[in-house]
Amino acid sequence: MQLAVNIAVLAAIYALISCGYVLIYRATRVLSLAHGELMMLGAYGLYATASLFSGHPVAAVAAAGVLALAVGVLVYFALMWRMTGESVLAAVLATIALGILLRGLMALAFGTQTRHPLAELGWTNASIAVGEDAFVSGVGLVLVLATAAVYGLLFAFLRFTRWGIRMRAAGQNPLLAAQRGIGLHGIYALAWGLATFTGGLAGMLIASDAGLESTMVVIGLKAFPAALVGGLDSLAGALLGSIVIAAAEVLMVHHVDPLLSDVVPFFILLAMLIVRPWGFFGSREELDRV
Amino acid sequence: MSDVLLRLERLEVVYHRVITAVQGVSLEVPRSGIVALLGTNGAGKTTTLRAISGFIGLDDARVTEGAIVYGGSRIENRAPHRITAHGIALVPERSKVFENLSVAENLEAVVPRPGADRRRLAESIYELFPALARLRAREAGYLSGGERQMLAIGSALACAPDLLLVDELSQGLAPVIVEELVGRLRRVRAELGTTILLVEQNAHVALDVADYGYVMENGRVVLDGTPERLRAHADIQEFYLGAGGGERRRSYREVKQYRRSRRWYG
Repeated sequence: MQLAVNIAVLAAIYALISCGYVLIYRATRVLSLAHGELMMLGAYGLYATASLFSGHPVAAVAAAGVLALAVGVLVYFALMWRMTGESVLAAVLATIALGILLRGLMALAFGTQTRHPLAELGWTNASIAVGEDAFVSGVGLVLVLATAAVYGLLFAFLRFTRWGIRMRAAGQNPLLAAQRGIGLHGIYALAWGLATFTGGLAGMLIASDAGLESTMVVIGLKAFPAALVGGLDSLAGALLGSIVIAAAEVLMVHHVDPLLSDVVPFFILLAMLIVRPWGFFGSREELDRV
Repeated sequence: MSDVLLRLERLEVVYHRVITAVQGVSLEVPRSGIVALLGTNGAGKTTTLRAISGFIGLDDARVTEGAIVYGGSRIENRAPHRITAHGIALVPERSKVFENLSVAENLEAVVPRPGADRRRLAESIYELFPALARLRAREAGYLSGGERQMLAIGSALACAPDLLLVDELSQGLAPVIVEELVGRLRRVRAELGTTILLVEQNAHVALDVADYGYVMENGRVVLDGTPERLRAHADIQEFYLGAGGGERRRSYREVKQYRRSRRWYG
């Protein structure tokens, strides 16, 4: 039972992060390799707003959310916007450079010691019993619920709202989308904003659960196989990929060796790339574009 | 021509900063008219349409000379979505619909001109193309060629354009379907008052529906006139309407091209 709870929480973490990879890839056909760093920036954002709005935790969380969204939009207009019309490789390299830059800047600004944004907010992470012999941390539970809410809202947004439909259209055929009156930069900026928001949310929750340190980037990196295994342009795929990776990781760590934790996701990724390179739900023809 | 909606003045388009695809093209499209642009592959017809509807960064093409005057203002080198907002919509030659979206979503994704009545537009599109109403929930990738062309025209009309640019209406479609589509275009003009600029290789279709025609070769306009005049022209008969010649025409093509060029360019 405890294993199932652990799998659920880890899957929620991966899913919340990997939907950002999918959102950006789906709308702009660019693989953002700065997503792990942007996630960590979201966590540091919460830490900063928590000290800024001390005594008003709800305001601090809301401010951190808005900040994450704004950072995503800013990244698009300051950097990725200029990559339109360049090769996809140039854009991906730009995200790698951005990631390294952000990592350095965060180390400069916040140091390398472990921070605890949750304590800063004045909240505690209670342990909640699930059934008879299993426990989940309060933040872990929030993580699962937040991930479910984010996926539900994203599905509804992409399926039923006009902006969501336009985002799918722009991802499929940018030229035609522009000819149909859709402003591509607005759509792309929205995709970056939403992706950075969900990534940042994941970062905030992980930091609240386990503390905030610079090694957090690794978790963002491990969510990348989840997105790829699912198929980079499918949200349902990212969800399934996250569950598969999380289950494999938790089971291997429990039954074989805890040191396998960082190995398993990438092993599964390699196996998947050999057997079914386009992932569970990805479209086949997208493959050559990455 | 009294009220000119679109005018190209000595338009020149250059790809990748070196390749000139359109050189000094001038033409006029009167309001509520249907004008055809004829020519073989590589004549520069599609590039001309794309220049009017706007290039994006991916194309690496620019209007380097001349002007595109639409409704009194110059629009060359503007972003495509701004041109659409101005009232020009293109039905492209290839990849003309969003294949992974349903028919209804294809129409929903469109950003119509400011002030346009979305619901009434959708109604008139479904009325014009009842097949689309029936296939509303179908994914566009599963439509037949004719249905796809209808959806492409429908979603261009959903932009509420004054000027509809149609690239190769007849390409890859059965004659009976082409005839039906031509009928719809006539209705579009009659009922919505939309002006149409039609690019075609099929001269039969183009001269059947248009009020006026231009013929392009090697990036230039070489001939223009009413359909009657163009139909009567010896070269149009021989090269576009397929009268006489038969198999021999193909083998003498190079020679003909030379003779024709001499005659047209003086």
